[in-house]
Amino acid sequence: MVRLEHVHKYFNRDTQREVHALDDISLVIEDGEFTVITGTSGCGKTTLLNAIGALDSVDSGRITIGETEITQLDERERAALRLQDIGFVFQAYNLIPVLNVAENIGFIMRLQGYHHEAIEKRIREVAAILEIDHRLSAMPNELSGGQQQRVAVARAVAAKPGLVLADEPTANLDSKNSQRLMQMMKNLNEIEKTTILFASHDDYVVEMSRRQIILSDGHVEKM
Amino acid sequence: MFSLALKNLLFYKGRTLTTFLLSLCSTVLFVVYVAFMDGSHESMLKNSLSIYTGAIQVMQEGHHENPSYDTLLEDLPSVMQTLKNIEGIRAYTPRLESFALLSSEEDSVGAMVTGIVPESEALVSRLKEALVKGRYLDSEDSNGLYMGEELAKRLGVDLGDEIALVGSATDYSFAAERFQIIGLFRTGLFEFDASSAFVNKAYFDALMLSETMASSIVVTVDDLEKAETVAGEIAGQMPSRVEVLTWKKLMASMVQAMEVDSLFGYISMGLFFIVVFFVIMIFGFINISGRIRELGLLRALGVHSYEILKLLLLESAILAFASVLAGTLIGAYLAYFYEVNPIIIKGMAETYKAYGIISDEVPTRFDLFTIAWNAMVVLLLNFLAILYPVYYIRQFTPTEAMRHV
Ligand SMILES: Nc1ncnc2c1ncn2[C@@H]1O[C@H](COP(=O)(O)OP(=O)(O)OP(=O)(O)O)[C@@H](O)[C@H]1O
Ligand SMILES: [Mg+2]
Repeated sequence: MVRLEHVHKYFNRDTQREVHALDDISLVIEDGEFTVITGTSGCGKTTLLNAIGALDSVDSGRITIGETEITQLDERERAALRLQDIGFVFQAYNLIPVLNVAENIGFIMRLQGYHHEAIEKRIREVAAILEIDHRLSAMPNELSGGQQQRVAVARAVAAKPGLVLADEPTANLDSKNSQRLMQMMKNLNEIEKTTILFASHDDYVVEMSRRQIILSDGHVEKM
Repeated sequence: MFSLALKNLLFYKGRTLTTFLLSLCSTVLFVVYVAFMDGSHESMLKNSLSIYTGAIQVMQEGHHENPSYDTLLEDLPSVMQTLKNIEGIRAYTPRLESFALLSSEEDSVGAMVTGIVPESEALVSRLKEALVKGRYLDSEDSNGLYMGEELAKRLGVDLGDEIALVGSATDYSFAAERFQIIGLFRTGLFEFDASSAFVNKAYFDALMLSETMASSIVVTVDDLEKAETVAGEIAGQMPSRVEVLTWKKLMASMVQAMEVDSLFGYISMGLFFIVVFFVIMIFGFINISGRIRELGLLRALGVHSYEILKLLLLESAILAFASVLAGTLIGAYLAYFYEVNPIIIKGMAETYKAYGIISDEVPTRFDLFTIAWNAMVVLLLNFLAILYPVYYIRQFTPTEAMRHV
């Protein structure tokens, strides 16, 4: 369960360029949800996701994931939390260029110290669900945008994190591929009970999500 | 982490190759350069020592600073007896130096006339081999004079000519004698050849009243590196007013000149290394700045920035060790090879004859300790070069890094 209480985040605070990116956000996301945060460009979706993912600090308010209050953690603890508990799909630039597809998918598990065979098995498993099992030895720069995005999803879910945060996972995909990716993620959500939180203004994503949170100018307009 | 570091190195081939080659070449160059420098110094020194000075000299206290008849070794036989039993000594011989006026029909020249024991002198110096005309001295010689070629030129004399010696005996009484030139020598040390003449000491002692005396005893050792130890040994067994000097003291000015020369050598190497340092650093910097997003991604995924630091240091360590190792092996091999098979440069002996160099071989010194510290320098350079790039990327937060273009 993810809980946000009166979260505020500013960029360039106390300057001419000050942006109040998150404005008193309070919300709860239950385990197993398949939820999208949506809203116009610049409304604060990425900022919110980064705050929940313990990537960026916030200026005030509280964020808890499960029992952990992440707004209290230091840099090292937040890195450990990201590694152990959260899967990320970023808006752009997701894959480690020097590693091939299989190594990218298994990267998190390797850092977590999983056994080699367990990693191999899991790589094949998620690669099959995301239909990239035929490109396992390819390098990221040899993949299409859609394939790259699916590898990123595979990596995010491979270690079975409690929470997957996906920022515009369909941004670079055509409608058909977007639909396919969403279907696959929905399968993962149903089969593996992974909590998945999207940020997107893509209609397919919004349609397929079971719950929509609409942001507008940094505050929650509708839950 | 190690395999990721390796993969990064393989992936970013440009940086890897340039850094590797650069660091390899610097190591080779450095090792070989220092080997040549040390080699030529060592050979100059050995040359000079073997020409005349010897590794160790035994003298009365104060004689080295201020040579005079007041500071002669008095009890020569017992001192010589003591030397006989000391280990590490190869040979030794006494000399009696006297400054005298030599006159030919044409000219008079002040010269150092030295009484030597011909047989043992031949074992410690190259006087005998330096012969160019006539013959060397022997123990039966009476008023035969063995003279530097240049000195003979200054006097306008040649083999067989007669020379008058005027000087003072060791009791400061007047001493004069006629000598005949029996041999001429050339050591290559110009100053020496222009101002030295030698006489059989047995005969000279009678003239100078110095039967049991000597200015110095010249000692050669089996191993030049151990000269200090042997000198200590000798000093321990000598009477208190006797001084034992090693080549470092005897050749102080030459040793100093070489140190200055080495210093200049190291300064020019230092300048070269500054350039190498910056090139390695710039390549490291370009590489790492090009990877800001990638490193940001790693951190976003939960790799701690400390681990990233380790990763980058590891990459540069692998590069540094591999290149320095390869460079050291190549450099050491070259140094060794050229020590065994010296490079020959025609005419070099001519240029350096003032230092007593008598062959055209470029001497090289193969010394593992020197090579090891040379390698350490390049290694250190590689590490220092990565520090700024690493420091630079640490200022980004993961999200900033990932937005970086
Ligand atoms: N690093 C930053 N520095 C300054 N301002 C920022 C920064 N990141 C975001 N902002 C500002 O904060 C606001 C929210 O940005 P955010 O990236 O969260 O929007 P978004 O909803 O993800 O937009 P999009 O749909 O285009 O991705 C915007 O006004 C943006 O200009
Ligand atoms: Mg965004």
